Amino acid sequence: MKLIGENLNIMSKKYGAALKAKEAKPLQELAIEQAKAGMDYVDLNIGPASKTGVDLMTWLVPVIEEVVDIPLALDTSNVKAIEAGLKACKKHRPLINSIMVRPERMEALLPLAAQYDAEFVGLLWGPEGMPRDENERGALCAELVFKATGEFGIKPERIFVDPIQTPVNVQQIQIMSVLEFMKMFADIAPGCRSTIGLSNVSNGPPDHLRPILNQVMLIILKRHGMYSAIVDTYDTMLHEIARDKHPGLEALVHKVEDGEAVDMTHLSDEERSFVKTAKVIMGQALYSDSWLEI
Amino acid sequence: MTFQPSKQVYSGKIREVTLGSGDKAVTIGGRGVYAFHSFEGAMPNAPRIAMEVWDKDPSEDWAAAAKAPFGDVLADPAAWASKCVKEYGAEIIVVQTKSADPNGDNRAAADVAATVKKVVDSVDVPVIVWGVANHEKDTEVMKLVAESCAGKKVALSPVEEGDYKQIGAASLGYNQLVVASSPIDINLAKQLNILLGNLGVKAENLLIDPTTGGLGYGLEYTYSVMERAGQAALTQEDEKLQQPMIANVANETWKCKESNLSTEDAPELGDAAQRGILMEAVTAVDLMLAGADVVVMRHPEAIKLVRNYIAKMM
Repeated sequence: MKLIGENLNIMSKKYGAALKAKEAKPLQELAIEQAKAGMDYVDLNIGPASKTGVDLMTWLVPVIEEVVDIPLALDTSNVKAIEAGLKACKKHRPLINSIMVRPERMEALLPLAAQYDAEFVGLLWGPEGMPRDENERGALCAELVFKATGEFGIKPERIFVDPIQTPVNVQQIQIMSVLEFMKMFADIAPGCRSTIGLSNVSNGPPDHLRPILNQVMLIILKRHGMYSAIVDTYDTMLHEIARDKHPGLEALVHKVEDGEAVDMTHLSDEERSFVKTAKVIMGQALYSDSWLEI
Repeated sequence: MTFQPSKQVYSGKIREVTLGSGDKAVTIGGRGVYAFHSFEGAMPNAPRIAMEVWDKDPSEDWAAAAKAPFGDVLADPAAWASKCVKEYGAEIIVVQTKSADPNGDNRAAADVAATVKKVVDSVDVPVIVWGVANHEKDTEVMKLVAESCAGKKVALSPVEEGDYKQIGAASLGYNQLVVASSPIDINLAKQLNILLGNLGVKAENLLIDPTTGGLGYGLEYTYSVMERAGQAALTQEDEKLQQPMIANVANETWKCKESNLSTEDAPELGDAAQRGILMEAVTAVDLMLAGADVVVMRHPEAIKLVRNYIAKMM
């Protein structure tokens, strides 16, 4: 799986301040760490940046490209800032993060994706907001791909469809809908890629318990053919899973997903935790903050 | 080939919980099927209707229709409770300790607890004490109630994440019950039951209050959470959710606009008295269908409707 490092983010206390102050050093250090950690892309999340976006992105892209040799994801809702970023990228083909399936967003951003031959994340967020089930996801996906490839001549492999990750403790049922959508994805959007904002699965649960939720969710998405994910750069275990280093844990999670009985008696603590977590993600057990303890 | 109706497969059971002590103790729960699905398995205990009394005279706040049946006793909680039992056949009494509210009368905890004790002593049926969801004040009141009502197996409510340790400990010290209350959130409901279990509260002393939304005011959210809790308990062996549930119905339905506008002010909404009664009865029936084992009610006419409904369904 390809991994997109999420940590360079305006919401972060440290890097948000560095972005606002245009302080290159901490941002470059972070980018170097991300590359070392094996990220395939560095996401540059500058937020909506309605006034400062163009200026900030124009400054930021060369600052990061100076120190790492991996592609950048341009993450802002400011169309002009995206364009500035596309112009500034010299080393690799950039990834626009993201284009919603709303007429005004597609009309503004798809021409840019075509012009710069950039990759883009097609976020399945429609005119009525979040899709309610896999069928609405399918319909939005088809609309996006049809428009991008047909009207703008964009190659399917440039499109990273994002079916939207929801938190396990708020909308577990939507996770199931994402998985159902992934089963249809190859047929609906042949040749297209996929991605997802993985960490949102653990948005809400206690901080120290977030990694295992992210890790198990990744195992499940990986099995469903997810091409890439936007992830925490510092979760080494997560990266190992993406690189097929934990086939045993993956097999256990698959068993849970397939509804097979898992005998817990001979499992290690880690294995038991993976089984319990898979059960709450798959809705076989209800989530509670103490899910690992019961 | 004959028609085979699909049959739900159940793997769990709601625990039985007994409220009160003595001859009039009431046992709820025990079912191994969805509410009223007696064609699929055992539902040994019918849902029960608890009647509420306030610990302060509610005349200023209540609609005329709600006051009418209790005109002579509204200022005397013990007489009110006694009337509910003797005249209206109440099987459980809920004392709403409205006077304790720090944003209202803010009556001293000792006085509030003394009134509760009077109510408990005036009836032979089980009593549930329902606080004001202010953690500090409820803790103060419930500690005193737990002690002064030792042996009565009263239920202390609502116990929330912010005061479960204090009120949970009081219930343990005097062997009372607790009602674990969470804000219309299935995951938090489960978590609170786990926390209370860790504290030592036994499952046989625990009820769930998923927080009630009245008809037109979030009923469907409460319904969904209760339904999901029932599914987890009965089909996913979720032992943390295999507890009976209670819905504080009247308190919600009678404060909404539709229950309080007079016939003259809102003629398009129909007769005011019938309106309030139906808002209450419909909410109660809906939540029983979702899995409520106790519904807290106010108006004798609404209660009559719901009682008939239960009798027909059982």
